[in-house]
Amino acid sequence: MTLAFITQSLVSGINVGALYGLTAVGLSLVFGVMKILNVAHGEFIMIGAYAGFWLFTLLDCDPFLGLPLVGIALFLLGMICYKVLFSHVAKFVEEVKLKNSLLIAFGLFLIFPQIAQTLWTGDERAISPAYSGESFAVLGIRIGYVPLGALLVAVVVILGLHLLLNKTYYGKAVRATSENWRAAKLMGINVERTYMVTFSLGVAIAGIAGVLIGLTQALMPAMGMEWTIKALIVVLLAGIGSIPGAFFAGIILGVVEAVSAIWMGPYTVAVGMVILLVILMFRPQGLFGKA
Amino acid sequence: MLEVQNIDVFYGDIQALWDVSLRVSEGEMVALIGANGAGKTTMVETISGLLRSKAGAITFNNIRIDKKESHKIVQMGISLVPEEKGIFPGMSVLENLELGAFPAESRKHKDESYQSVYGLFSVLESRLQQSAGTLSGGERTMLAIGRALMARPKLLVLDEPSLGLAPLVVKNIFKVIQEIQDSNVSTLLVEQNVRAALRIAARAYIVENGRIADHGKAEKFLHDEKVIEAYLGAA
Repeated sequence: MTLAFITQSLVSGINVGALYGLTAVGLSLVFGVMKILNVAHGEFIMIGAYAGFWLFTLLDCDPFLGLPLVGIALFLLGMICYKVLFSHVAKFVEEVKLKNSLLIAFGLFLIFPQIAQTLWTGDERAISPAYSGESFAVLGIRIGYVPLGALLVAVVVILGLHLLLNKTYYGKAVRATSENWRAAKLMGINVERTYMVTFSLGVAIAGIAGVLIGLTQALMPAMGMEWTIKALIVVLLAGIGSIPGAFFAGIILGVVEAVSAIWMGPYTVAVGMVILLVILMFRPQGLFGKA
Repeated sequence: MLEVQNIDVFYGDIQALWDVSLRVSEGEMVALIGANGAGKTTMVETISGLLRSKAGAITFNNIRIDKKESHKIVQMGISLVPEEKGIFPGMSVLENLELGAFPAESRKHKDESYQSVYGLFSVLESRLQQSAGTLSGGERTMLAIGRALMARPKLLVLDEPSLGLAPLVVKNIFKVIQEIQDSNVSTLLVEQNVRAALRIAARAYIVENGRIADHGKAEKFLHDEKVIEAYLGAA
């Protein structure tokens, strides 16, 4: 076991972790603001991935350059889903809202993979531009262009979201809505529209994450659940509502998984679960959450 | 300016307000007085659009507002400081104030509004970067009132501003309410501190079991033994 080998695992852990973080951020945003647990979050990731696949294969569009298009398309899909399905439950009290929205999201979780199966068949697909396998070396450590690009995109998206929420008037309205929607209404904030935009933003981020995931692993209609679970673990690990926290927790999970894989091989998934259990036992508010 | 005409309000199947009518004129301060659970908060929440009336009408400057969404009503110039204050605890004092000026029209005058709010509550200015959740009860009330003023309302509705505050703080709050009134903002004041409310208000409505039991000049009630006895109690 050389140091270089461990470092290499560390680097790939950061790469994967950034994707974990990005998926978790979308889920955390929607849950934090609306108290809706979108268990179909992974399905939106899957749809985003296939959207990137279509752009690449049908229109010959570079997957990275196509990201804004996928983001916009998924934003619109999120708006439709919110308007048709979730807006009716948004006005209920928190507990009813949480339960009903879970049922709706679970329905989506069952339906979307079927639609994907029809549209794209169950065959494994890949988004593989010419540069997908290429890498460069820094101090003996191989860094792939695609994972590096994905990491940069993830950082940019999360930073952008963080600035949006903290520096703009609209973002502050979103945070205010998440803290106290009744008071937000009394500030003149259109809470219903804020919910719709937040939900759609969460879906758009999921879509972008989907394309990045599709660049590094095979696409399947059933790929969503794995990512929903990962996102849930990361959100709980980070604590609800912390956007940078979710990103860092994602990196932590990615690194721990990658490094533990050196010894544990395919059982690394269990490591994430164990970490989650320990956190829930000793720090239930999450690493970055407020008690 | 504000005209509430014969409204009935229900919580589910349970009726909370019966045939309530009240009026606030331009620049006037009106007090709503009544026991706990009489329906005062229900009234102001209906005016603000948080609750819906089943019958009757509410107009503001001759425009029907009883079917409008809360955020539209705020944009039209009615700001409510709710009983629970509703500050955003995880956000800074400055951010709370900033959000008060959310409506586009209020946003244009944000800088002036800050100055006038700091003028009324100098303590807020020294706590701008502090998160609102760390404020004391009195400071929260000041923040909530200041935040409502950031919208530059034509009508300020205050629901129990003195609730749970130390006497000295209450005195301060009332002084500020008086100052706001002097700047020609109409005020609808819900208060359990009957004597103080009647002293600064021009007119008052007595609320009993979801109905308006009586109304008239505040002065008249101030010298009405029955009213003082019924709502002032041992205090």
